[in-house]
Amino acid sequence: MLQFKLVLLGDSSVGKSSIVHRFVKDSFDEFRESTIGAAFLSQTIKIEDKGSQQEVVIKFEIWDTAGQERYKSLAPMYYRNANAALVVYDVTQQDSLAKAQGWVNELKTKVGEDDLVICLVGNKLDLCTEEGESSSKPKAVESSDAEGYANEQGLLFHEVSAKTGEGVKQVFQSIGEKLYEFKKHELANSKGRQGAGGDTVNVQLQRPSTNDATSCCG
Amino acid sequence: MYTTERRPSMAERRPTIVAMSAQSVVPHLAGIEDPLPDTTPEKVDVLIVGTGMVESVLAAALSWQGSSVLHIDRNDHYGDSSATLTVDQIKKWVNSVNQGLFSGCYDNAKLYVSTSIGNHNGKYASRDFGIDLAPKVLFAKSDLLSILVRSRVHQYLEFQSLSNFHTFENDNFEKLTNTKQEIFTDQKLPLMTKRNLMKFIKFVLNWEEQPEVWKPYADTPLCDLLVEKFRLEKAQVFELMFSIGLCYNMQTKTPEALQRIRRYLSSFDVYGPFSVLYSKYGGPGELSQGFCRSAAVGGATYKLNETLTSYDPNTKMALFGDGSQVYVTEKVVASPSQAPKDSRNIPNQKYEVHRLTCVVEKSCEQWFSEGESAAVIVFPPGSLKSGNVEVVQAFILGSGSEICPGGTSVWYLSTMQQGSRAEMDLDAALEAMEASLIRESSTDLEHDDSLVQFGPNGETLINSVRLGQSFKQYVPRERIQFLLKLYYTQYTSTPPFNVVDPSFFDINNIDGNGKLIPGASDNGVLYTAMPSGEISYDEVVTAVRVLYEKIVGSDDDFFDLDFEDEDEAPMNKADYENAIEDDEDVDMNVGRHESAEFVGEMEI
Repeated sequence: MLQFKLVLLGDSSVGKSSIVHRFVKDSFDEFRESTIGAAFLSQTIKIEDKGSQQEVVIKFEIWDTAGQERYKSLAPMYYRNANAALVVYDVTQQDSLAKAQGWVNELKTKVGEDDLVICLVGNKLDLCTEEGESSSKPKAVESSDAEGYANEQGLLFHEVSAKTGEGVKQVFQSIGEKLYEFKKHELANSKGRQGAGGDTVNVQLQRPSTNDATSCCG
Repeated sequence: MYTTERRPSMAERRPTIVAMSAQSVVPHLAGIEDPLPDTTPEKVDVLIVGTGMVESVLAAALSWQGSSVLHIDRNDHYGDSSATLTVDQIKKWVNSVNQGLFSGCYDNAKLYVSTSIGNHNGKYASRDFGIDLAPKVLFAKSDLLSILVRSRVHQYLEFQSLSNFHTFENDNFEKLTNTKQEIFTDQKLPLMTKRNLMKFIKFVLNWEEQPEVWKPYADTPLCDLLVEKFRLEKAQVFELMFSIGLCYNMQTKTPEALQRIRRYLSSFDVYGPFSVLYSKYGGPGELSQGFCRSAAVGGATYKLNETLTSYDPNTKMALFGDGSQVYVTEKVVASPSQAPKDSRNIPNQKYEVHRLTCVVEKSCEQWFSEGESAAVIVFPPGSLKSGNVEVVQAFILGSGSEICPGGTSVWYLSTMQQGSRAEMDLDAALEAMEASLIRESSTDLEHDDSLVQFGPNGETLINSVRLGQSFKQYVPRERIQFLLKLYYTQYTSTPPFNVVDPSFFDINNIDGNGKLIPGASDNGVLYTAMPSGEISYDEVVTAVRVLYEKIVGSDDDFFDLDFEDEDEAPMNKADYENAIEDDEDVDMNVGRHESAEFVGEMEI
């Protein structure tokens, strides 16, 4: 199983958390008791290795902003070692794409673009699909504008509705596939090569290992 | 004395949580589920100013207890006086210190930065480095570690072990003999010394229960007991007091020193054959970020780049630099380094800690154990050319800690020596480290077989004593390249050993009989202490707990958390990766007994 860290970005009220809710809920059939305080949410997906036709399990470790984005107060820890980012805007809010672009720039300075998969996601599609309904709003951000920007910047692009679930699975599926492509490439390229200090061993704090010198390795 | 009503504990509040989660199969994304206000909240229970280590742990404790917390910091980064900084941030910080922005907290900052860092075409970037202002190590059996696990904050962090403690003596580095095996296999130790050492180690693990042994020495320095009762030699006395106990001078009293020695021994083998850990990417600066994130998940509001302008204890209104204000129902807690202008109530930070931090263009691997990237070097009293009275402690981190790029290392030197001679001691220690590093990396010694020994598990150990002997004839040909050198004096109200004095937090207590100072902008503000010079995190939890009790009225529910995440949900076996297997082993006594931080036994 491959594990990736995915971070959420975008202004408050664009529906970042509801997208994750939808993603986690749709493929979630176990009753899970109070997860309040969980460091992050995790969810697994399956993709297919195009070469070997084998199924590959990918686990996302999803970090929410916990509201720290509101006053631009996200810590470096949030961005560190992120493999993927979901940058969310609201298709009914004209200025929210510009704000999302601001977050993309922020990400690129904070993380470095080489190994980061960024997916631009327009949310609240449900609000503007059914014309004539009282709750419907005009679509304020044209798909072509957002898609054009995404292509230019090398981002994945999706429009979704967290409310109806439309497009949500595909977001994570496409991120997973792209990450796997990267990872495969990386694994093939870096056989036996270790980065700086790559052989320093981490200690897992939840696993005390009395008198067992080998179990401290993670 | 405090009339603050005790609020419901986490345990008492739990039924609502359970009810909430019973309706929803979706894990709760606390902090972003509720619609978020666009402006600063109008009313909070507690306002915390400064995101240092103590303030951040306090914010997390209060948020999970159920208090609404607004946590601000005047900087654009987390950590305050325990921040982890890039080189550019260090430059800015040094300027602030020298402009007197932190008067009473820091002064005398001197910085050298090589042109290899930054400057567009430099070999290294500013952000390749994460330099801690108050570096710390974490004992494997400690109150902070159990809170890290209990609060799940450890999942945001990565930890690595540190097993090499070197004592500098007679111009040599001696590697610490800290395990039973090593004591028995150490060829240098006479049989009698081995026996005496083992006798002492057995005693120290239960020292409190044997008053007949130590009571006569209760008011004398520990070395008297070690020499008279246990007949230990100077080398062992120094090792026990300064490497294992990490004491600051010869005068360290018996009970304090015994406590510190036991801290090391009872931490040994909890996670493996070492006693001490440190966090990757930075120390207290990283932990602060982790606890702030936890507090945010628990509902706290975060605002960087915000200053407290004043607080009025009568109207309970706090004013901020951006013109906004908030009504504070309970308390304002502030770090002395972020006090409002015209403050008159900051407790005197009268103890000096002198620090010298260097970035060196050497990997320093020879000082580290295999698979590790860190070491501690201790310079006992009288071991340096400067004739030091106080210990100099050096905490070395290599690139495996990810706080510096490959081929470099960071040396954190500190001493509790007061006054101007501290800098002489730091310089002498630096010189000794530099000299030994040049000798050790010399190619002349590479093929000398007698320098390499094999440890009990077959791992190779460099015999640093032999190395030291051959150093004496060696004339260095190269010099160490320093990429950065930073001297500064830090002040703290926490005296060495008296980890936290609760009375410091009373000074400003208007609930009692405290008087308001006319014109002061900080009447009624509860100040935290600046970080002390203690190399471990041991003061932190005690300080937070005292503050917590002052605010909540009781510390019964301090971090009384009962997260039932992944391990409760029987999912795929593979999903157990992050599961907590069994907390009982680590969560020893936290929140139960006052002085139970260091209970624990080690099989001898």
